[in-house]
Amino acid sequence: MPRFESIEALSEGLAGERYLVDEGLATVVFLALRLRKPLLVEGEPGVGKTELAKALAAAAGVPLLRLQCYEGIDVHHAVYDWDYPRQLLHLRAGGTEPLFSEQFLVRRPLLEALARPGTVLLIDELDRADDEFEAFLLEFLSDFQVTIPEVGVVRTDEPPAVIITSNRTRELHEALKRRCLYHWIEHPDLAREIAIARTRLPAAPEPLVRQVCAFVQQLRWLDLHRVPGVGETLDWAQSLDALGHDGVDQRTAERTLGALLKTREDLERVRAGGLDDLIARSGDAAA
Amino acid sequence: MPRPEHLVTAAAVSLGRALRDTGLRTTVDAELGFCRALGELDVRERSQVYWAARASFLRRPEEIAAFDGVFDRFWRGLDPAVADIRAEHGESDPRMPGPQHGGESLPEFRAEGRSSALLDGRPSRATREIPAAGADEDDGRGPRDRRGVLAAYSPDEIMGPREELRYEPAELAAVRRLAEELRAAAPLRRSRRLRATRRAGRPDVRRTVQRSLRTDGEALRLARVAPSRKPRRLLVICDVSGSMERYSRALLAALEAVAGSGLKTETFVFATRLTRLTGVLGGHDEGRCLEAARAAVHDWSGGTRIGHALADFNGSWGRRGFARGAIAIVVSDGWDRGDPRLLARELERLRLQCRRLVWINPRPVDAGSQPLAVGMRTALPYVDDYLAGVDADGMASLGRLLAGMDAGPPARSQRPVGSGR
Repeated sequence: MPRFESIEALSEGLAGERYLVDEGLATVVFLALRLRKPLLVEGEPGVGKTELAKALAAAAGVPLLRLQCYEGIDVHHAVYDWDYPRQLLHLRAGGTEPLFSEQFLVRRPLLEALARPGTVLLIDELDRADDEFEAFLLEFLSDFQVTIPEVGVVRTDEPPAVIITSNRTRELHEALKRRCLYHWIEHPDLAREIAIARTRLPAAPEPLVRQVCAFVQQLRWLDLHRVPGVGETLDWAQSLDALGHDGVDQRTAERTLGALLKTREDLERVRAGGLDDLIARSGDAAA
Repeated sequence: MPRPEHLVTAAAVSLGRALRDTGLRTTVDAELGFCRALGELDVRERSQVYWAARASFLRRPEEIAAFDGVFDRFWRGLDPAVADIRAEHGESDPRMPGPQHGGESLPEFRAEGRSSALLDGRPSRATREIPAAGADEDDGRGPRDRRGVLAAYSPDEIMGPREELRYEPAELAAVRRLAEELRAAAPLRRSRRLRATRRAGRPDVRRTVQRSLRTDGEALRLARVAPSRKPRRLLVICDVSGSMERYSRALLAALEAVAGSGLKTETFVFATRLTRLTGVLGGHDEGRCLEAARAAVHDWSGGTRIGHALADFNGSWGRRGFARGAIAIVVSDGWDRGDPRLLARELERLRLQCRRLVWINPRPVDAGSQPLAVGMRTALPYVDDYLAGVDADGMASLGRLLAGMDAGPPARSQRPVGSGR
């Protein structure tokens, strides 16, 4: 379990990895580490849920183990499997070692996290896995142990820092939520978004970054189907920078808006609502 | 003078109680977790305590506004019983799938329980505990507490003032029969989960080798796996507006059957706005479900805005994948007071997300016959299947329709539908 002395130390550590947190997220991550509880992070796509785990591992200087969830994920993908080809060869070669022992065990992320103390374990998009897998996770998350029938119970005294993300395509089970600390990440406000963009894109001209962020902030208040996240802000700023612009103008915005808005309805809506108006207002807000 | 850690414990417990009184589901573990969290923090710092409490007690973003209200009172050491949470709820971020979209059902706020004595260290039980009148009538049948969610709702609007909301035994049998039919008829989809098969499917190396270990490494028989099949999700979006009133009983029965079928289902109803009924329906006591459903909906028999309701669905739920791969069933007579262009656009979005779009018109009107309601005429081009009549026959035909969907790829015509504008 990575250790940070204080909330400030944690914020600075993450900032060192170019991940800026607000006070709320910093406090909650700090608590999750101290209390050795998994942290369930939810939020709109693109608010940096997955990045949090990466930054945390980098800041603490520990390995990140990532388990990407999908429908049908099972124990063999998440916890362990047996190395059957090696067992077979062993048998054919007349070996006498027990076949179902550590030697032939293939560790998947969850088991690996128990075997290697002090890692960060990211369980990404848990809402994509099915109920069966979620139920299986309960034992792991509450006791940091898994049971392998042939070997026995594997547990650890130094549990990993667990970060679980969900996009809320379905509601996670109450029993699982109970075992976690919960945090909902909002889209950042203007000042923070500018700070994030400047940290992430140090080469992009500042006026451009400010205006792009102000523009996106306004978009988030329109009733869009798919609200652009920080990831899209960065993409757009990068696109404009690559085209050699140091501000947003109507013509360029028209052509590059696809980096920001990913559905036809949203594009049409923003165009119909007056792109020039949005640009003018974002220019004011940025100044 | 009590010891400081007792103060903290008492405070944590009273916050938990205050949240429960507000209708947020909290547990004793959450209180314990919060106590432990306070031990790691500077308890004089409001923001640290706030975030610790939020991380410990909160479970979903819809609860943030209500939580903030309670925490605010908690921190000020005032009586945390909530004066008007609902107003605060309404002010939450409009982009959230919150109650203003009729999204997540609101927590049921009860104002009778009181907790106080926050940071002064006295256990909260010692303080005034006033059981409000009617507190024990909250079983769904007594006079309703008209606060919060229920304020907008008058049961008299629906089915006559005295009508008992109970199923007749015959109706109940029909509900159960329909549920049974639906379960049997539900179309299947391929799951990503593999299962062992005897003949068909691709070789399963893992199990083949595993088996051969028993025979000294000779693979005598090839093990195979194939994707298993799961029932598709049923998504029902049902109109309960004024024009549908005479069908409401039958509709509720049908919704009940869908929810009780044991399939994965999502149920929404709308008149002027959308309400999610998933979780309200489908319990084991059908009578209670009926009451609960009636109580959860604010606008029974209101005007119809189908387009708006579908826009709400697409924006708050569809976007999160609730319709993906599902059989979407819209139940409405198509009498729409909204903009037909909006209806067309939102239907197209829904159609693009779901596997099949079924429209059930409870009025027995054929698709070809005139006059069809404007909304119905607008909707027809987007609909994969159109059924009319919601009586026993109509519902049986839904069962037959679903049963027929399994065969082969979707028989959805490739004709382009209008762009919807």
